[in-house]
Amino acid sequence: MSPAYLALEDGRVIEARTRVPGRTRGELVFTTAYTGYEESLTDPSYEEQVLTFSYPLIGNYGVREERFESDRVHPRAAVAHELTEEVVEWLADEGIPAVDHLDTRELVTSVREEGAMRCGVAAGESATAEAAREELDACLPMSNHDDIGARVSVAEAATYDPEGEVVAEVALVDCGAKGSIKRSLLERGARVHLLPYDVDVETVADLGADVVFISNGPGDPKTFEAAQHLVEELVGERPVAGICLGQQVVANALGGSTAKMEFGHRGVNQPVRDLDSGRVVMTTQNHGYTVVDPGELDVTQRNVNDDTAEGLASSELGVITRQYHPEANPGPHDSLDFFDDVLELARGEDPLS
Amino acid sequence: MTNEDRTILLIGSGPIRIGQAAEFDYSGAQACRALEEEGARVVLVNSNPATIMTDPEMADRVYIEPITTDAIAEIIRKEDPDGVIAGLGGQTGLNVTAELAEQGVLEEYDVDVMGTPLDTIYATEDRELFRDRMRSIGEPVPRSVTIDGRDQVDDAVAEVGGLPAIVRTTYTLGGQGSGVVSDRDELMEMVRRGLRLSRNGEVMITESIDGWVELEYEVMRDAGGSCIIICNMENIDPMGIHTGESIVVTPSQVIPDRGHQVMRDAALDVIRELGIQGGCNIQFAWHDDGTPGGEYRVVEVNPRVSRSSALASKATGYPIARVTAKVAMGERLHEIENEITGETTAAFEPAIDYVVTKIPRWPVDKFDEVDFELSTAMKSTGEAMAIGRTFEESMLKALRSTEYTPAADWTTVDDKELAENYLATPRPERTFAIFEAFDRGYDLDEIAELTGIKEWYLERYGRIVEAARDAPTGDFADAARIGFTNHEVEALTGGGFSDRHSSWLPAEETRSDGGPSVDDIEADVPGRTYKQVDTCAGEFAAQTPYYYSSRKPEWLRGPYEGDAAAGELEVDRDTESVIVVGGGPIRIGQGVEFDYCSVHAVRSLREDGVDAHVVNNNPETVSTDYDTSDGLFFEPITAEEVADVAEAADADGVMLQFGGQTSVNIADPLQAEIERRGLDCAVLGTSVEAMDLAEDRERFNALMNDLDIAQAIGGTATSEAEALELARDVGYPVLVRPSYVLGGRAMRVVHSDDELKKYIQEAVRVAPDKPILIDEFLADAVELDVDAVADGDDVLIGGVMEHVESAGVHSGDSACVIPPRSLGDATMARVRKVVEKIAVELGTVGLLNVQLAVTGVHDENADSEVYVLEANPRSSRTVPFVSKATGVPIAKLAAKVMAGQTLADLDATESIPEWASVKEVVLPFDRLPNSDPRLGPEMKSTGEVMGTAPTFGEAYDKAQDAVGKGIPEAGTAVVDLSAEEFPNPHSEAGQELRERFAEHYDLVDFETEAAFSEAIREGEIDFIVSRARGPLEVAVEESVTYFSTAASAHATLDALATKEEPLAVKAVQDHPRRDARWGA
Repeated sequence: MSPAYLALEDGRVIEARTRVPGRTRGELVFTTAYTGYEESLTDPSYEEQVLTFSYPLIGNYGVREERFESDRVHPRAAVAHELTEEVVEWLADEGIPAVDHLDTRELVTSVREEGAMRCGVAAGESATAEAAREELDACLPMSNHDDIGARVSVAEAATYDPEGEVVAEVALVDCGAKGSIKRSLLERGARVHLLPYDVDVETVADLGADVVFISNGPGDPKTFEAAQHLVEELVGERPVAGICLGQQVVANALGGSTAKMEFGHRGVNQPVRDLDSGRVVMTTQNHGYTVVDPGELDVTQRNVNDDTAEGLASSELGVITRQYHPEANPGPHDSLDFFDDVLELARGEDPLS
Repeated sequence: MTNEDRTILLIGSGPIRIGQAAEFDYSGAQACRALEEEGARVVLVNSNPATIMTDPEMADRVYIEPITTDAIAEIIRKEDPDGVIAGLGGQTGLNVTAELAEQGVLEEYDVDVMGTPLDTIYATEDRELFRDRMRSIGEPVPRSVTIDGRDQVDDAVAEVGGLPAIVRTTYTLGGQGSGVVSDRDELMEMVRRGLRLSRNGEVMITESIDGWVELEYEVMRDAGGSCIIICNMENIDPMGIHTGESIVVTPSQVIPDRGHQVMRDAALDVIRELGIQGGCNIQFAWHDDGTPGGEYRVVEVNPRVSRSSALASKATGYPIARVTAKVAMGERLHEIENEITGETTAAFEPAIDYVVTKIPRWPVDKFDEVDFELSTAMKSTGEAMAIGRTFEESMLKALRSTEYTPAADWTTVDDKELAENYLATPRPERTFAIFEAFDRGYDLDEIAELTGIKEWYLERYGRIVEAARDAPTGDFADAARIGFTNHEVEALTGGGFSDRHSSWLPAEETRSDGGPSVDDIEADVPGRTYKQVDTCAGEFAAQTPYYYSSRKPEWLRGPYEGDAAAGELEVDRDTESVIVVGGGPIRIGQGVEFDYCSVHAVRSLREDGVDAHVVNNNPETVSTDYDTSDGLFFEPITAEEVADVAEAADADGVMLQFGGQTSVNIADPLQAEIERRGLDCAVLGTSVEAMDLAEDRERFNALMNDLDIAQAIGGTATSEAEALELARDVGYPVLVRPSYVLGGRAMRVVHSDDELKKYIQEAVRVAPDKPILIDEFLADAVELDVDAVADGDDVLIGGVMEHVESAGVHSGDSACVIPPRSLGDATMARVRKVVEKIAVELGTVGLLNVQLAVTGVHDENADSEVYVLEANPRSSRTVPFVSKATGVPIAKLAAKVMAGQTLADLDATESIPEWASVKEVVLPFDRLPNSDPRLGPEMKSTGEVMGTAPTFGEAYDKAQDAVGKGIPEAGTAVVDLSAEEFPNPHSEAGQELRERFAEHYDLVDFETEAAFSEAIREGEIDFIVSRARGPLEVAVEESVTYFSTAASAHATLDALATKEEPLAVKAVQDHPRRDARWGA
């Protein structure tokens, strides 16, 4: 198998084995989840990133479409200590460069120490270290991807009906939504209007939805200006909910602010404490930006490790958001009741009381 | 009440047994430290002296007393504890706590059960209750029916869907009395035994889910309701084999995220429903039914720390016992610091970025007659764990760590036998059988069909075989990368094997006709570096020095030096540092006592400001706790891998004396490896040459002759003819054994030429490179064990132990007493002289164990003579017993002496106890059907207890209680003196012996062994003295107390004479002793 090269922003070039050839670039990040590679690779929030798995063996239980979170692979490249044939075949079909046989723990600890960094990948017969460096040089910082929403969002609005009676109407703004968010809402009897990331205020207002729900998505929340505007306009009139990037967009809309983190949270073991109940739950996370000022909102949940805001809310404004992924897939199901809370809010009840 | 005011009673698990090994020493020791941090006053009780947890400094009061309700009630009266923590002492601790509650003792003295409530324990132990609780929260359980009589068997089987079905006995240890059966007769027999063993007279018949994947989840919950999963563990062997008998991998490999999350949800629901506080283990069966997440059943819940939780702690770095103890004291998970990262808390789920493999170790070599087919009942004594970046690397490291050589000779096994007897039938050899099958060209599907093992695993077994096969063609790097050591690669490519403990080497490849040298290989393959076990897969900077090695990717070839070799190692290369090599998996002849010695060595070095690193691979132990040492290297114990540690950590010395035979065995190859690499690192203590001299029969004999020390006549034979001639010269009976053996393996007393021939043909096979030793059998001699520390000039005697059993019973299986009860001052003085001479002449620096036999003790007219049987310049299995009985920490003193201090510098003094301390052994016959339940020259015991009291009789009685075969005060007894070992029943001595027992018991006799056996089975016999094997096997099954030697029968009479004395318990801190020198 031919060698492959990873050129890192800190100047190092790391040799690896080519599993799927190609040249690409992206922000180097890592996830510590040891299961859920199918879900992670199809998570739109990994758009424009090179995903390193800290668990060394990836692809062990095969690849099944029913476990996908979207209709394609989103990271620009996949990096693991060892990838199985099955996962390699899938990535090859998707045209995603993949490399293994490198010290991924060293990569992970580098990212931990130096922060998420740009990287270039060159893999295949003709791959050279120089080619990887060229990719690196062309790699944009994450916040510069102004068009990232367009690449992960649905182009046209669509409506999905639950089986049985409709208990609420949800306007789900797709900034790169994982399939499980829509599924979790449908399972609870919500009619889901899946809307493009840049949907305008009038369209949403005309839908008559009971709640505006900003989804997760890749990159810097500040690039999702339309969604932020939507919240600014509709908050107070309608309940608002958000997950991950959605929380950040909502916070920015309500006088708060967000910032890029050193290397983010990516994994399925992030402990979050509910400040009211005192209970700690394990959560799935995948974000590189965080809310540093909640604005008009209250912080209701915090990360046990670094105290970052994990849940925001306002009874008065009818807002409830999560930084982590209550829809799981991959990861723990500990917080699925968030969707019940959102639907309560949609029905005019106050889940916070 | 604040924690500072509370007195907490912590109950240990007693002796090492099959199903209950060192893991509870580890969890108990960790809990003691956690409770101390909370400020509580800790009272600890455990009958096992070989443990770290019973060290006087571990708790405020330490009681080495029987774990019986009587003894513990007495301790409660004296110490007035506020609470008892039951979940840290295994099944033993739980059972005795439940009994104390049932008897009203806890209520009477107002003792709270802390942590998980007793109701929960009942709900998990009573399978019907458990199933009801599971059904009530909608969790699927295998169909099952509980019965209390054999007449209900057929209906029950019909209800669970027919045979095969599983029989399970409630309230037993390690699945005793349980198994999968597909035959009705077998089923009836299993039920009969199960009904008898069960504490509540019930057994359960369960739906067989054979072939499903068996998984365990380690769960933690605090009283506030926060729950987390510490890790999951996947058994490579499918359902149907006890998890303690299975090869186990962490984390799971073949379960998709959704399946994992659904079982995680179930685990959390279960732990909440049951109200567990602390650690808990939940077992699941899972299979892929085509849905995204698969299908599962909840199989079992253990509401306590366990062998699996010890494994999970070591596999993840999450200290389950410590957190359990703190949760029991009322702390919340997010309030407990994660000591490994130092910046996170106990409220998180560890992330793993490596693969952990655990392989059990079975006592196959000790029990020729036992069938080691693996089932739902445990037969293994211990286990080894390994960490690697791939499954293959982890597996091969684990195989080296078990130090197990397959009992099968594949050249004599045809395809049919391989398939049926080794692949389809699970046995200890199965891993090797799979390698053999791939080597023979079997395809993967065929092996999967026969073994039921998932393809993912088998594919990787296949890669191992392929790499081994390709190595001779010059592809060293692949073999190295897959997980073989450089020395193994040398052997694979046609060189010899000059290390110890290989993982798997196809037989024909281990020839020594040349090939590339280890230097050539080293230059051509990627080197190993160290990675941290940090609980978080690198997400946070960890502070705890817990490491494993892994090969670098193939792009980085050649040996690493300095920082490159160190990898993530954070050791102070400028400070003086020493590596203590541990003892590997627990096995018969090498138990927790060597972990005790290793830990003491480490503590002793650290006290003196020397950095102490540990190399060991036993996940059950204190030595592999992350805060025992300055650097914990979870590695196989081979010369190459220990030298790697020495090189990377820049260690100044290595101590090999403390880990038993495992560490001593690498002395020669390690010395060679250190020289080959030119490392500035010394094997400390007694020289490797002196260790060899002590093992070399002829050179040792010559030395003893020079020193005028008596030895039993004997010699070495390398052929049958030589052996027969030698035996006749010495005179029958003679003691025969192979040289270089562990725990008296294959040792026998032989009475005639015929017996000797049979022994040679069947048991050992004699050859020039495998000599056997033949010695005069010193009948009627009193055997002694002496443990001492020497610094090259001075000698400190730790203690002199007198064996209760006479010669002919392996010293490791004999009860013994400190101080000796039958030796006069002159004999003791001679003993001292002999030990001192040997210590000095061998140049002993560190520990020395000398085994002696004294003749003429019981005959006033005979001359007394002290013979030397053996001298071993290293730690012995009696070191912790000696230290507990005398209060002198000889392992610590030895480490300090080895590091360069003198006994005079240390101002160390000897101490002689005023009370008698009896060590008694625990035998595994109940777990190993068809084993010979009589004591003999081959060691069979798995563990030990200590009983201390003012007189020998009381101490012996206590020790029997602690073992769990108490001597009844009255009842019906059989005193059958028909065997040669007893005095003739018609002689005066024989008559007297029977009459003395008749003072306590109604004696009955039987015409036939069959009648004798039947009476035992019917519960008519309470006490037995006999060597009739058949009836004794029945006595084992029926848990009837028996003694199989004249010596133990006499000791029993001493115990019976003291039955009037009230039970007295005393903390070890209060044992009376006087400062005096032994034999001076």
